[in-house]
Amino acid sequence: MKARPRITIQIRSAPLLAFAVFAVSFYASVGQGSQAQNPQSPNPQTQNQPAPNPPPDLKSPGFQEFSDRVQKYVQLHKSVEATVPKLKATNEPELIVAHQKILARKIKAARAHAKPGDIFTPAAKEDFLKAVSSEFQGPQAPHAKATIKQGAPLGKVHLHVNEIYPESIPYTSVPPTMLQKLPKLPEEVAYRAVGSDLVLLDVKANLVVDSLPGVIPIEGMNGQ
Amino acid sequence: MTLRRRVFLIGLFLVLATGQRADEFKFPLKSNSVRFAAIGDMGTGNKAEFETSEQMNQQRKNFPFDFVLALGDNLYGGHSPSDFEKKFANPYKALLDAGVKFYAALGNHDDASERFYKPFNMNGANYYSFKKGNVHFFALDSNYMDPKQLDWLQKQLEGAGSNDWKICFFHHPLYSSARKHGPATDLRLLLEPIFVKYGVNVVFAGHEHVYERILPQKGIYYFTEGSSGQLRARGLERSNITANGFDADRSFMLVEVADDQMYFETVSRTGKVVDSGVIQRQQTASAVKP
Repeated sequence: MKARPRITIQIRSAPLLAFAVFAVSFYASVGQGSQAQNPQSPNPQTQNQPAPNPPPDLKSPGFQEFSDRVQKYVQLHKSVEATVPKLKATNEPELIVAHQKILARKIKAARAHAKPGDIFTPAAKEDFLKAVSSEFQGPQAPHAKATIKQGAPLGKVHLHVNEIYPESIPYTSVPPTMLQKLPKLPEEVAYRAVGSDLVLLDVKANLVVDSLPGVIPIEGMNGQ
Repeated sequence: MTLRRRVFLIGLFLVLATGQRADEFKFPLKSNSVRFAAIGDMGTGNKAEFETSEQMNQQRKNFPFDFVLALGDNLYGGHSPSDFEKKFANPYKALLDAGVKFYAALGNHDDASERFYKPFNMNGANYYSFKKGNVHFFALDSNYMDPKQLDWLQKQLEGAGSNDWKICFFHHPLYSSARKHGPATDLRLLLEPIFVKYGVNVVFAGHEHVYERILPQKGIYYFTEGSSGQLRARGLERSNITANGFDADRSFMLVEVADDQMYFETVSRTGKVVDSGVIQRQQTASAVKP
């Protein structure tokens, strides 16, 4: 059996604490005062969470095709990166910014003809739609929606393949429970939620690799 | 006047007449303790950020902290070389010159390239850990909690043992009573069971531009400090999980971990102490032998 952690907190204001204890006891004894707050009382923030939805089949042909395309992209990324001086932690932000810009420029040049759907292929799109839709319709839907809402989604913003992620747009977290259900990605790329689109971003080059428009339900959420 | 009212007024008089004020809180300043500050949502480059960092510098004269946890949104807006200077290097110049190290987590306004900025001590990683004295720190990337990061976190926590403090810090708060965003409940679904299982003691987050201390949740202490540069005045809607909060001005936290106690103080831009207390290190389930 697991032991409950024992917690104490001592606020360094002894007379105030003494008075608080006294006042609460007094109120309780006369039966008219408001009840002392019970940290264990039910609360929307602390209620038990629903069980997660069953994960989608990551070995489905669509997801497999997507993962293959991602691998090919990462090969290209690595071959381009090998031509750029390696970036190490530095005190000079000029080097960081220059590295990112050069990498992005070279990758854009190397895939100048890239178009939407090259990575999120039609077959992959089907699987992503199912996975995302399951997340936003299942018992965890309120949590996933809250995550998107937290990021103040920009409904009218659509990023394009080979576009630099605009620095004016903050990141909206991809709902973490949804991330567990999507194909794993190598460290060079990441999923991003941008408005209603699921974007595949090259995180080192800050470059949009591909985009899957309209998969994230953001209706009714304030965009700003 | 009712009896209740009379007793309340007498009690209030006693407190005002003889009471110890919260700003008389004293850090033990033990020789082997771990001392740090925590700031969040600071990277604006505006006057308030400079004034808050100056107050940190002033506080450091009496409370010599060695490092700072930066809880994300380290640089708002542009990420040009001048932005790194204007929004970080310049405001914190005095602290940096004094050898104070910063350990950053990424917020939703941060570019991943910040990982390579040496003063943030991320060494090119989105998430990382480090140890100071008897405290293990885990910096997480709450923008992107993928399976790989979760696996990493579990292994790190498991390897940290059960006799040291475990402190996690990241941007999005798992619990919050602030009006703007509220808690990251989806993230909580994944992180909280891990925190409980491996005995995380304290969690620091930002994102909401207020200060809030949450009543312990499943044995874990949560702090939100997201007003070290930004501020959402009156942005805190105290709820029944709020232990204390401050949303009237910018603030930052000072923390000393001495053996099994964690002393904390939250200080406003003007130097007013708005919260303080001592936390006893929780005994984790894994530390209890059957």
